[in-house]
Amino acid sequence: MDSPKALNSLSSAAGENVMDTGSTQETVASEAAPRIPLDIRDHGSVGDAYETIGTPLVENAKMSARKVNVYYGDKQAITDVSLDIGRNEVIAMIGPSGCGKSTFLRTLNRMNDIIPICRVEGEFSLDGEDIYGSGQDTVLLRARVGMVFQKPNPFPKSIYENVAYGPRIHGLAHNRAEMDEIVENSLRRASLFEEVKDSLDKPGTGLSGGQQQRLCIARAIAVSPEVILMDEPCSALDPIATARIEELIDELKENYTIAIVTHSMQQAARVSQRTAYFHLGKLIEVGETKQIFTMPRHELTENYITGRFG
Amino acid sequence: MNSTNEPRRSTSSAAIQASLKRRYARERRFQWYGRLAVLTGFVFLFILLADIVSKGYPAFTQQYIMVEVDFDKEQLGLAADATAEQIADADYLGLIKRSLREMFPEVTSRSEKKQLYRLVSMGAEYQLRDMVMDDPGLLGQTREIWLQAHSEAGSYLKGQVAADSDQADRKVKDQQVLWLDQLRAAGRTESRFNTTFFTAGDSREPEMAGIKVALYGSFFTLLVTFFIAFPIGVSAAVYLEEFAPRNRLTDLIEININNLAAVPSIVFGLLGLAVFINFFELPRSAPLVGGIVLSLMTLPTIIITSRAAIQSVSPSIREAALGVGASKLQTVFHHVLPVAMPGILTGSIIGMAQALGESAPLLMIGMVAFIMDAPTGITDPATVLPVQIYLWADSPERGFTEKTSAAIMVLMGFLIVMNALAIYLRKRFELK
Ligand SMILES: Nc1ncnc2c1ncn2[C@@H]1O[C@H](COP(=O)(O)OP(=O)(O)OP(=O)(O)O)[C@@H](O)[C@H]1O
Ligand SMILES: [Mg+2]
Repeated sequence: MDSPKALNSLSSAAGENVMDTGSTQETVASEAAPRIPLDIRDHGSVGDAYETIGTPLVENAKMSARKVNVYYGDKQAITDVSLDIGRNEVIAMIGPSGCGKSTFLRTLNRMNDIIPICRVEGEFSLDGEDIYGSGQDTVLLRARVGMVFQKPNPFPKSIYENVAYGPRIHGLAHNRAEMDEIVENSLRRASLFEEVKDSLDKPGTGLSGGQQQRLCIARAIAVSPEVILMDEPCSALDPIATARIEELIDELKENYTIAIVTHSMQQAARVSQRTAYFHLGKLIEVGETKQIFTMPRHELTENYITGRFG
Repeated sequence: MNSTNEPRRSTSSAAIQASLKRRYARERRFQWYGRLAVLTGFVFLFILLADIVSKGYPAFTQQYIMVEVDFDKEQLGLAADATAEQIADADYLGLIKRSLREMFPEVTSRSEKKQLYRLVSMGAEYQLRDMVMDDPGLLGQTREIWLQAHSEAGSYLKGQVAADSDQADRKVKDQQVLWLDQLRAAGRTESRFNTTFFTAGDSREPEMAGIKVALYGSFFTLLVTFFIAFPIGVSAAVYLEEFAPRNRLTDLIEININNLAAVPSIVFGLLGLAVFINFFELPRSAPLVGGIVLSLMTLPTIIITSRAAIQSVSPSIREAALGVGASKLQTVFHHVLPVAMPGILTGSIIGMAQALGESAPLLMIGMVAFIMDAPTGITDPATVLPVQIYLWADSPERGFTEKTSAAIMVLMGFLIVMNALAIYLRKRFELK
């Protein structure tokens, strides 16, 4: 907030590929900066060969990604990212808009497969199994690695059917009563049940934006995935609902692994154990959440979390 | 700052104000063009409908003449113990002729008699035959019977022929007009709803001709068309949209489907003749072949509209389904198709409506035959409504002119029903 110039210039640069401007500034790296850069266009570049600072890799990871490159047509959206997601941890992914958080998240359950122009390189594994291997079934993978999308996308069907669909196709409920229970439970955990309990047969698309977001969370957890990828699950929620979702995340991490993309630093600080900072398709820094927010080691991370841009 | 800004703002707002006037004027003018276009369309539609209805509605009534018939066994040449067969073969025409002569005993000359006999329909003898076959007890009795009027006499009774016009210009002769006037004065003529029109096949006599064969034929043909074109069209659209790889081959297929939609329908008729009738030796004139040919014609329409409908389904729905672990097929059938269904149905019904109104390709495969008995299946010879209309439009008799218009009204009625069905289905699917 203290630097309107940086915000202005960022908004004008948003969405464009701004990589190749500062050949002179390319060496601005982890060492103590002589001055605080004010303009992302001058100081955003990290160089093609870069190294992620911190601890991207962990022991006994639930999911791991190595040397990931993602291209949309000719445009590279992710450059050489390696990252592990630990068992039963919540990892937050932060970074300016358009830096590739969603893109990276979607590689983890192969959602990018359905975008024809998208090409993914790298090695991915879930519990040591190759995700992109020829033997891997995407249906099973997506059942194990669930996703809450950035834009709420309920099915144009009833609220009940929205939640029941996943369990039904996977055969998780054996009778109507069990299904009712799964639906109610999922809606309760997404803190939506009280609001919709009398209108379960109404279309899910008729809910408000925030309610739709919670419906999509309920839909994702209804199939009990091992890993849940959440892409800004609280972007349309009020503080009360946000707090409930954060409680849910806390509760879920006992049994599940969660990767959450968020634009709210406070949220990242509240819910996650580790935080990964992305910048223009590169993974700049990963570390304990506390460390990232109190002692960021990379200048770009520091600029971001102190609100100088992004 | 303010002092430099102020005048600038006022000049720009003046400029906007000046342009506003022009912009609004343009908008108003455009609205008027639109209204004019809509109005023109409506006027033409109204003229067309008014013409058809005014010509066609008399066809829905039918004129009857009451004749005193003496079911004389001798005249019929039947013995007391006549078999059913003999009753069926008896000379009812003679009976009618005698009854008419008795009604107008002053008629003696051959030519006058001939005119007299032409007052009642050629079908009247079958009417009598059927009555006697139903109830042989009639034999030997005398009854007042309403006989169907001949089409020309009928059209005079309906007031379609002016009695003071030149006799040479009309088929009802002066003498007949006189008789008909006498009959009407005696209360021996009657106008009834024309059930024959819906229960009879084609006939050379206008008053005996009906659209039953054509109705059945159209129904069976459309049935075949629907059951071929809809499943194939929708599956092709789903495959091309959702599963097929994007490459040269699919591009080529897409272009050709679009081209196929523009192929003149008569070409499909030639194809049907060459392939299905000459090569596969399917029955000629049958709804089966007609339906196959029309389904070839409707397929491109259904494929193109279905693809458009599938394409317009938001990709986020697909993502949502795949995201909870639905397979591609489940995604398509559980989520994409239900959302696309209204569009697919609309396209299909438009295609079917086109097929219903099509005549040229069916002429090629012989669905133009003169058929009196309604088909009972898809392999019986039949004709269809548009072809029947074409045939009648070709006939010189006044009676067929009104039949032509009446058949067009029936055809349009079906089109309206089909469109209403499309709207209903769309509404129903959209509610879900
Ligand atoms: N479907 C797509 N086709 C082409 N380019 C895409 C597509 N999706 C994303 N991109 C590009 O990839 C880059 C990363 O996008 P991504 O959606 O991953 O950003 P993000 O970090 O999630 O941003 P936000 O915080 O705004 O959601 C952007 O430059 C974007 O333009
Ligand atoms: Mg995103």
